[in-house]
Amino acid sequence: MEQEVLIAGIGGQGIQLVGKTLALAATLAGRHAMLAADYGGEMRGGPSQATVVVGDAPLRALPIVPAVGAALVMHDRFVGAVPERLRKGGLLLVNSSVVDVDAERAARYAYFELPAIELARELGAPAAAGLVMLGAFARLSGVVELERLVEAMRSLLPPYREQHAAGNATALEAGWAAGADRSATAAAG
Amino acid sequence: MSSSAATSGLELLEGSTAIARAAITAGCRFFAGYPMSPFTGLLESMARLLPGSGGVCINAQSEIEGVNMALGASAAGARAATGSCGQGIALMQEAIAETALNETPLVIFNMARNQQDYFQCTRGGGWGDYRTLTLAPKDIPEAVEHTQLLFHLADRHRIPTILYGDPLIAQTRIGVRIDPLELPPLPAKDWALDGSRGGTGHSRQIWTWAMGKATDPGPGPDRHWQAIAEKFERIGAVEQRSEGFGLDGAETVVVAFGSAAKFTAHVIEELRDAGHSIGHFRPITLWPFPGEALARATEHARRVLVFELNAGQMLDDVRQHAADRSAVLPIGGVSIHESGLSYGPLLDVPVIRERILAAMRGRRRLAARAGLSAGSRG
Amino acid sequence: MSEVIATDRPPEGAADRVAEFRPSLIVGEHSLCPGCGEPVALRILLETLQELGIVERAIGVVGHGCYGSFVRIMDVDVLQCLHGRAPACATGIKRVQPAAAVFTLQGDGDMVSEGLAEVLHAAARGENITCILLNNGVFGDTGGQQTATTVLGQRTKTSLDGRDPVSHGHPIRIADIVAGIDGVGYVARGTVGTARGVARTKRMVRSALETQLAGKGFSLVEILTMCPTGWFVGAPQGPDYMEQSMARAYAPGELRVSLGDER
Repeated sequence: MEQEVLIAGIGGQGIQLVGKTLALAATLAGRHAMLAADYGGEMRGGPSQATVVVGDAPLRALPIVPAVGAALVMHDRFVGAVPERLRKGGLLLVNSSVVDVDAERAARYAYFELPAIELARELGAPAAAGLVMLGAFARLSGVVELERLVEAMRSLLPPYREQHAAGNATALEAGWAAGADRSATAAAG
Repeated sequence: MSSSAATSGLELLEGSTAIARAAITAGCRFFAGYPMSPFTGLLESMARLLPGSGGVCINAQSEIEGVNMALGASAAGARAATGSCGQGIALMQEAIAETALNETPLVIFNMARNQQDYFQCTRGGGWGDYRTLTLAPKDIPEAVEHTQLLFHLADRHRIPTILYGDPLIAQTRIGVRIDPLELPPLPAKDWALDGSRGGTGHSRQIWTWAMGKATDPGPGPDRHWQAIAEKFERIGAVEQRSEGFGLDGAETVVVAFGSAAKFTAHVIEELRDAGHSIGHFRPITLWPFPGEALARATEHARRVLVFELNAGQMLDDVRQHAADRSAVLPIGGVSIHESGLSYGPLLDVPVIRERILAAMRGRRRLAARAGLSAGSRG
Repeated sequence: MSEVIATDRPPEGAADRVAEFRPSLIVGEHSLCPGCGEPVALRILLETLQELGIVERAIGVVGHGCYGSFVRIMDVDVLQCLHGRAPACATGIKRVQPAAAVFTLQGDGDMVSEGLAEVLHAAARGENITCILLNNGVFGDTGGQQTATTVLGQRTKTSLDGRDPVSHGHPIRIADIVAGIDGVGYVARGTVGTARGVARTKRMVRSALETQLAGKGFSLVEILTMCPTGWFVGAPQGPDYMEQSMARAYAPGELRVSLGDER
């Protein structure tokens, strides 16, 4: 069983870092992971997209994944291949700080939303909204444990950004907790 | 990386880094190249990793300088490599031909932007009767194996060899292990220059014209180049590699190479599950082209569909070797990402599926309408 | 060494030996024209390798020109490389065999026309290699066409009325350019048109190789060599012609020296 997630947003939101953190966390957990290549786009503001696939055997997934079981939508200006690639009933997690999804569309998926920018701001780590989303996604999908995400995030930080480690860990934890809440709500509903 | 990664032995590596690690595992100790997307990642990985492994990596001032540096290092006995994408490898053609004709082993990494370098890899652009042995991996784990194999084959035959990669292999990150490939031992490089025979009357010489020394004449260009041509003919016979599935009695055979073959294989598995009589054939060596295997695989095929991301290059080889030349139809095409640096929208499962199905429908309809056998050109 | 001639009895016949001045590293007759300066330069180079005791770790990289045929008569390890690329090949060799004494042998067409980028970048990298330029200001091998170092006014088959800067550009003084590059250890220009020039040039070649052995960076010796055939003058007139034309445009002497007190 392979789990695929498509992460879409705009440059500067840390889309590629979220993808790398997830793929590395799964690898650190001893699983097979792939992070598909993404090209083009400006450093900030342009479309940015990452696909991560995780499995327990050598992956069969293609490097351009035709269909995904989950999607993280970070920005309304670029949703990338999400509408065409996300399977019906798949997990759709949306950054509701900037993205609105109408009820009809949401009903097609296992839909969750999270005001990730507000949450990150409250934590004092406004640049870490992507990691809040990642924490929540990990909890909702069960793809990888929180500890692995934190470990992966730390090992990906370049030395000149080490001061962000604590804030980033808090963001992942807050996302994980929010994911736990929504997961419980969904189960109850 | 963390110790927990050791439990599975997998490391999350970008394809370029995995290939660099494989090259170093294979004993590569010299690398020179000039940055160009999507080859740049391999050059950067070599610059990062080679010095710590007792090797040298030089950011050359041009592709021409880089390939000639690698030729020099190889002439001195080191396992050496260079690389670029097709655009930069175009500049290296003179030196690649030279390594073939003066018999210095060299590995060239073509981290191509797409599949438009098939002719360049398999025909070459230098002068002389030579070929470049080319392996086209379908994904990163296979590229790790092929990289090691290419250094071995380059040394075994004293030839230039090419890895035909692409952006998906260069830039995807995947959990891999760099396992050393088990390969048979090779003889010592007693031809390599080290100066030690200077003044003995038997000093060494590496020379495309092979005229030897006054005291120890060589075969000269006529005999030397005949011998080179014969060597490539032998290699062409023994180094063909291919794989396939579903070929037994398949009505339709799809032929594809490199990353694209991973996509076509995926589609064909789906189509077979849906009951279609369709098989898949993948040349692993582009030169030597696995012609005999293709002839066998297409013996009963009504149509042979060639999917490649170019205007029809491998098509020539497929037509040359397919059991029925007129059954061969191209279903690929030029398709470039808007950045110019990668594949365009044609390399996608739904598109490929539609093209294969259309070719299957179209041909059947055409044959029915015209009352023709599969012998007509589609 | 020649055998000792017996003197305890009368000679059996007239002596038929002539004196042999050929250094032992030259193992055959060269095939170049009478009056050519290149075999003189080869001999200087090979004698110097022997005098420095580095024959058994010397590796040469030879480009394309008349001197390319020296590959057949020089008894040292040699890579015959592509036109102009010798400094790049020499770089690859030196980097994987740092203990080797690596030299290139290139003409002006090879180094200054076709391979200008390679020599300049090797110099700027401070590669510990020694490049020997045989500069005769003409493509000798192809029969007398203009190269990047052809002096103004010189008639060649591609500058029939003499090199004119308006049509053909100016000659490149490569040694002067290389001498101005950081990372360069030694640059000199010599000539083989006179006995004094030969002796002086030999000291330059020695200094260049000593610079490499001391790890002091890139070294270049530009040697002005006669090409009476390509200059369309008689063989005996070659040296005088060279003094009057090339040696005026390219002043001999040391242009950059870094071995200081050790020398």
